[in-house]
Amino acid sequence: MTRIALVPGCLALLPAYASLLDPVPELRAACAEAVAWLGEDVRIVAADQGRRVAEALLATRTGVAGDGGSSYLVVANGAATRSERAPGYLDERAFDFDRALAKSLIAPDPAALRAVDTDLSHALWADVATLAPLADLLDAAHLESVDYDDDPYGVQYWVLRWAS
Amino acid sequence: MTLRLRRHTFADDQPLMMAIVNRTPDSFFDKGATWAEDAAFERVGTVVEQGAEIVDIGGIKAAPGVEIPPAEEKARVVDFVARVREAFPDVVISVDTWRAEVGDAVCGAGADVLNDAWGGADPELVDVAAAHDAAIICTHTGGATPRTRPYRVEYDDVVRSAIEDTVAYAQRALDAGVAPESIVIDPAHDFGKNTFHSLEITRRLGEMVATGWPVLVSLSNKDFVGETLDLPVGERLLGTLAATSVCALAGARIYRVHQVPETRQSVDMVWSIAGRRRPARAIRGLQ
Repeated sequence: MTRIALVPGCLALLPAYASLLDPVPELRAACAEAVAWLGEDVRIVAADQGRRVAEALLATRTGVAGDGGSSYLVVANGAATRSERAPGYLDERAFDFDRALAKSLIAPDPAALRAVDTDLSHALWADVATLAPLADLLDAAHLESVDYDDDPYGVQYWVLRWAS
Repeated sequence: MTLRLRRHTFADDQPLMMAIVNRTPDSFFDKGATWAEDAAFERVGTVVEQGAEIVDIGGIKAAPGVEIPPAEEKARVVDFVARVREAFPDVVISVDTWRAEVGDAVCGAGADVLNDAWGGADPELVDVAAAHDAAIICTHTGGATPRTRPYRVEYDDVVRSAIEDTVAYAQRALDAGVAPESIVIDPAHDFGKNTFHSLEITRRLGEMVATGWPVLVSLSNKDFVGETLDLPVGERLLGTLAATSVCALAGARIYRVHQVPETRQSVDMVWSIAGRRRPARAIRGLQ
């Protein structure tokens, strides 16, 4: 079985940026559950910064059992312009953009993921560089679970799992 | 080193608030506000609620005044210590006394720390601390007699004097059998010192921290703050917090204070600036 998980590149997940009180406890718990499910041998699909988040999440895993299949941890997230307090301030286009992206991810619809509007995603500060390789992985996959779907700080995060 | 105050231990990266609780009718800051036992008890409840790890109970004001014999000092603090011990088992109880006789009685009633603000004036205090496995605060007063004000005191080097005297006192406590993890040193701002001395002690506190002994600072609303800013008692909080911040950056471990939340906030902020404490909840730029 091939297992695929998606997590956001939220830097608050890095140990170097840990606070006394976790600002993203639900997100962290969802990520931990998803990466534990991936098994032992995990390939990371991420840009440099996202790779650090993925590596940190994988490093904190305990009691992981492998089943010999291949696994992928993909780092991406939606718009960072979903509120006035968001990093990229409020851009109303974020809501339709994220709604469409969520639909494509959950379906999953690889063709739609390959067709995401690059200019708009850039304008909305969305981290979608890995959607093309993710689409390739999802060609024969089905959704296993939606572990997280929220925008606590004006940034749209998903933690999703697929299997094929 | 892990700090142990009798039954209570603290990691070496944890700054501690020691809240002043006066069982006196005439201390300079509160002017008798907690002279009545119930008022003092209420003050303990308040500062514990505010997060103070230690209460420092005193039965005699530091300044000169009516002589308080040991029996009267004991009457003011011993039963009170027992009452606090019973009601607040988790709080560290310190008693501000220089007298071995009083120290013995309060340790018997449950005190954890003997805060000798007068620099070892009673040589048997270390033996009492050792006998009860209590902690001791070793202060520098330049040899001043208890409850006297400094008068034309000068030092070749006030910091060197503070280090030499407190380290020697710490050694004396060790020799008497006090546990090494239960010895704290205190330069004692204003005690045997003019304002220039206390400012220099503050500026060079890092030299005391470098001795390796945990350092206590007692800065709260003192005259060196008032004289520096030309402000009366009651208007010295900001100056106190500025001095507190300098001492925190240098690494002082225990802060003897009137105002717990304000001091805690200042020390927490500086502790985080110094990289010894994580921010409470950081998300800015990290989403």
